[in-house]
Order: sequence, then C-alpha cells, then structure tokens
Amino acid sequence: MATATTGRGGRGALGLLASNEVGLALLIAVLVAIFATVNPGFTSPFNLFALSRVMGIDMVIGLSMMVVLVTGGLNLAVGSIGVASVMLGGWAMQVAGVPVLPSMTLAVAFGAFLGWINGQLTVRMGVHSFIVTLATMSLFFGAMIVATRAEAFNALPRSFVDLGKLRYGGFVSGMLPLALIVGLGLWLFFNRTSLGREILAAGANPQAAELSGVRVNRTIVVAHALSGALGALAGLMLAARNGAALPSMAGHIGMGWLLPAFLAPVLGGTLLTGGVVSVAGTVLGAAMVTIITNGLLQLQIGEFWVQMCLGLILLAAVLLDRARSVIAERRRSVA
Amino acid sequence: MLKGIWGSDWFGLFVVALVAGTGLALFQPAFLSPFNLYVLLISFSLWALVAMAQMVIIAIGQMNLSVGAIGGLVAISFAGSMEVWGLPVPAAILLGLAIAALCGLLNGVMTHVTGISAFVITLATLSIFKGLNIGITEAQPFYGVPDVVKAFGNARFEGLPHMLIVPVVAIILIWLLFNRMVLGRQMLALGANRHAAELSGIRVGRVVVIAHVISAVLAAMAGMLAVARLQLGQPTIGDDWLILSFAAPVIGGAVLAGGHISVIGTCLGVVIVTLINNALVLLGIDPFFVQLFLGGLILIAVGLNRWRERRLAPA
Repeated sequence: MATATTGRGGRGALGLLASNEVGLALLIAVLVAIFATVNPGFTSPFNLFALSRVMGIDMVIGLSMMVVLVTGGLNLAVGSIGVASVMLGGWAMQVAGVPVLPSMTLAVAFGAFLGWINGQLTVRMGVHSFIVTLATMSLFFGAMIVATRAEAFNALPRSFVDLGKLRYGGFVSGMLPLALIVGLGLWLFFNRTSLGREILAAGANPQAAELSGVRVNRTIVVAHALSGALGALAGLMLAARNGAALPSMAGHIGMGWLLPAFLAPVLGGTLLTGGVVSVAGTVLGAAMVTIITNGLLQLQIGEFWVQMCLGLILLAAVLLDRARSVIAERRRSVA
Repeated sequence: MLKGIWGSDWFGLFVVALVAGTGLALFQPAFLSPFNLYVLLISFSLWALVAMAQMVIIAIGQMNLSVGAIGGLVAISFAGSMEVWGLPVPAAILLGLAIAALCGLLNGVMTHVTGISAFVITLATLSIFKGLNIGITEAQPFYGVPDVVKAFGNARFEGLPHMLIVPVVAIILIWLLFNRMVLGRQMLALGANRHAAELSGIRVGRVVVIAHVISAVLAAMAGMLAVARLQLGQPTIGDDWLILSFAAPVIGGAVLAGGHISVIGTCLGVVIVTLINNALVLLGIDPFFVQLFLGGLILIAVGLNRWRERRLAPA
C-alpha cells in the first residue's frame, strides 16, 4: 500500500518506498519475537487485547496527523480537537440524552468542524499551519475547559463503554479492526479518488498543482477537516477504552498526543515536506511504537524511561531516513 | 526620531500595555498594591527568559519545541545535584548551565549536520530531555533545595524581586547581541535568507549551533529561577512553556519565517500576557480562560503582523 508521487527528494523509486514498509514489518516481527521470548506474558491473551486496543488508537492518531503532513503542513491541535470533540460527544450522551450513535457522529462532525477552522485560518491568513494550530490547540482546549469546568463525563451509556471491551477471537480488541478499516478508507481516498490525488499533488508542488487546475486552498481545508474528524474518532476510541470522557486524556493542551502523532507517519515514510503519503507505513509505524512501549513496560524497564526511548526512536528514524535518501541521491548522481 | 519610534515594532505594543495597565489600575486599585506588582514581576522574570529562548531560534528561521524540556531537565538537575550530591549552589548552577549547553549543542549540531527540520529534531529531543527528566525523578519532586536558593526566590528590594536581575541582564545581553554584534546580525541574515547568508561567507553551522546553545542556556536560567520560585525541583517545570514561548515573540512582531525579531517587542509581549493573566485573576474571571486568551492572542498577533507586512510590501 505505497503511494509514490513526485517530490520524494530524488528517491522516487517505488522499490525503496516498498522496502520502507517491508522493513518496518520485519522489525515488528523481530521485536515481537524478542519480547515474546524474554517475557511469556507478552503473548498472553490479556496483554494482546490491551496491546491491540492501544494500537488501534495510536494508529488513528497517527493517521490524523498524516493527512495534514501530506499537504506539507502539520496539526499541533490534534489532541485538543480530539478531547474537545469527545467532551461534546460525552455531554450529548450523558447529559443531553442523545443516543450513542448520533452522539458519536456529532463528535466526529465537531472534530471535522474544528479542523475546518484550522484549514480556513491557515489558508486565509497565509501563514504556516504550525503557528495557526499552535494557537488553536490552546484556543480549543481552553474553550473546552471553560465549557466543561474541567469535569469528566464518567457515567457514559453502557453501549458506548462496551465498545471498548469488544473483542474478537478472545484477544483482538475491536479497536484494531476499526483502525485498519479507517486506514483502508484513507488508502482508497489517496489512491482512487481525484480529491485524494489533488491533495497529494498540491502537497508535492502547490504552484504546479495550482497551474494544472487544482484548487490548492481547498485541498488544505479538506485535509485539515479530515484530520480533525480522525482526531475526534481517536478521542472517542480512547474514551470508550477509559470508560469516561476526561479533559486530561491527551495531557496538557493535548500535547500528550504529539509524539505518537508524529512518530507513526515519520517512521512510516510520510515526508514532512508534503506530497508523499504511506498509509500502510503509518499503520505499521504506530504498531511498532505500541509494541515497543508495551514490551518495555512488560520488561520492567520502568514506565519512567519509555518516553525517552520513544524520543530516541524518532531521532533514529529520521536520521535513518535522511541517510537513506542521501545514499539514494549519491547512487543516482554516480549512475 | 519621533517617526522612528512611531514606526517601530514595539510602539503600538507599548501603548497597549500602558492602556491595559492604566485601565487595570483604575478599575482595580489592588493592581497597584506592592504585593501584586511583586507577583507580576516574578512571572515576568520567568516568562521573559522563556520567550527570549524561543526568540533567538525564531531569529534564525527555526523553532525549538524543546525549550520547556530543557528548562525542566536543568531544573531537576539543579535541585537534584544539590539534594543528592550536596553540590554547593554555584557548582549546581554551573552544572545546570553545562547540561543546557550540551542540550543546545545537540539540537544545533543535529539540525545543521542532518539538514532535517528543527521541528522534528526538537520534537525528538523534547521527548528525550523530558524522558530523562521523568526517568531520573520518577515524577517525584526534589524537595531538598538549599535555603540560600529559597531565600533568593523570596528576596525583594524595595518591592522588586531579586530574581528580576537575571532576566534584565539577559535581555540587555540579547539586545546587544542582535543590535550591536556581528554574530547577531549573522543570525538575522541567516534567518532572512539562508542561501544569501552562505554566499556572503557566513559560517552557517557555527551560527546555528551558537543560537541553539544560547536558547538552551536561557531556558536553563528560567528553569533554575522556577526552582527558586517554587522552592522545589518540580519535574513538571517547563511543561506549559510552549505556547507562551511562541506567543510573546509573535506578539512582539517576530516573523516566524525568520530574519526579523524585536527584543523590546518580545518583552512587551511578555508584559501584555502577564497583564492579561493578572487581569483575569483581579477581575475574578475564571482562570480557565487563560488558555483561550493566549490562543486568541497569538492568532490576532499573527493576523496583525501579516496585515502590516502586506501594507508595507508595496512601499
């Protein structure tokens, strides 16, 4: 599931892109083998269920960032949008008595709306989405805190909380298939629809895309709205897992999601400069991060060192990616 | 002369700050109470250093997400080395500055050598520094801060907190750097146009690395002041610096693409943010509104900067 378009700094070769995902899959297999040998508890149904549940959530968070990275922008407000939407959904379910499915739809639609605001601000102000989403992450989170008085919704309907307990085959959480379906949908979107292709083209080279009739601004707004909707979905999944909608579930102003959000796409080979997307890479990247986190926790390395390990992995991943593209460049210039 | 002041980045901000201050003083006499002014100056001391730390990196056209993580790591190292190893205060300060210099060196060397965007590098080092912090402290504060440090955090002279001396010296030095020194000019030139800077013989790598070291050292000073203020080595120091570190320089007229910053503007940005925070408290407005205001303020400032740029562009 690799998508190659123009703009991959001299790499261009589909083979290299494919090897990125194959490499990730191999790495995951090796990691699983190591963790399973060192600690038999790793493969217990209980741990696999917990693992697959977190994995699904991290995948959606990663995909939510990915769709904006494709445009060459970024969305620091992913966590804020996720929490703000879920608090609205939680309010609808618990206080307003709206049925579960419409409440969830409302939350996702609200996430898309907040993303749309980000997109509109980025396009209209003509500044980088970094500063816009930096401002809105504070703005959305602040508005949510004011509206909820920082109180949780912890009496959510049974049918919603049960979604977090859903399991297949005794050990696969329902969250994982859901994330994979979302991934498949995005793959189809970027590969099979003209709008998806336009977003890629605009991300790779905005001027060229504009000249060939793509409405670049529209693609940016659509990508941000999509990112917001996915952020809200990730928030709903997390709330179902926690059994409550908590204002604190993405950390201070939603910053807790930033690391997983960037790790998955960057590990998977999505470029921060835009125009290149790898849905499968993002999904595998998120899987690897979850497995490493879970494995380290199981090994009693200490929960306190996990964050540092993830930081080192991100650093190693970007350095490796950079080295690879430099080598590819040299080979090309020699040939 | 008058025209120069009128057209400067900071004159409008100065008026805004003055009006806000006067308004507050009229409606809330408590604003001018010595204790309130003292509290205001304490938070100004801390925020000014944080804002300067980001501003230096904005000047070279990059961003540093790890400002808060460096401040936090230095804060706990500073407090921890005194409590656990019994280091004397000056040695602990030097250790803190050395750790910061190392962090800055890492950020600068990696962004320059690899050519990867500073955003990604500092996102990774943010997690590494914060991870080290949590790994060392296991999320528990160091309580054994020596009395000298605690006394410094509480000391005041005629209503002025002693710690104000640190940001004042830092601000003067940074102002001299950007307005009187070759290095500062080179940083701005690099931020404005990297290619042109290279062609004109500026050693880009050196400038980038020095900027990151200066940024880290400023963050370290803020971290150590926070320890003196809180009277303990809190691992969460620095967690909430990110938004403000960008807000103040942007309000002060900094262009995020690089090449243009204003030291006085940034300081006034800090003053305005501090005044708004204070107003929320004094007027009994929900403190939850702070995040909302900060976010809105950044958007307004960016919008105004863009509007001014467009207006100035044809001229």
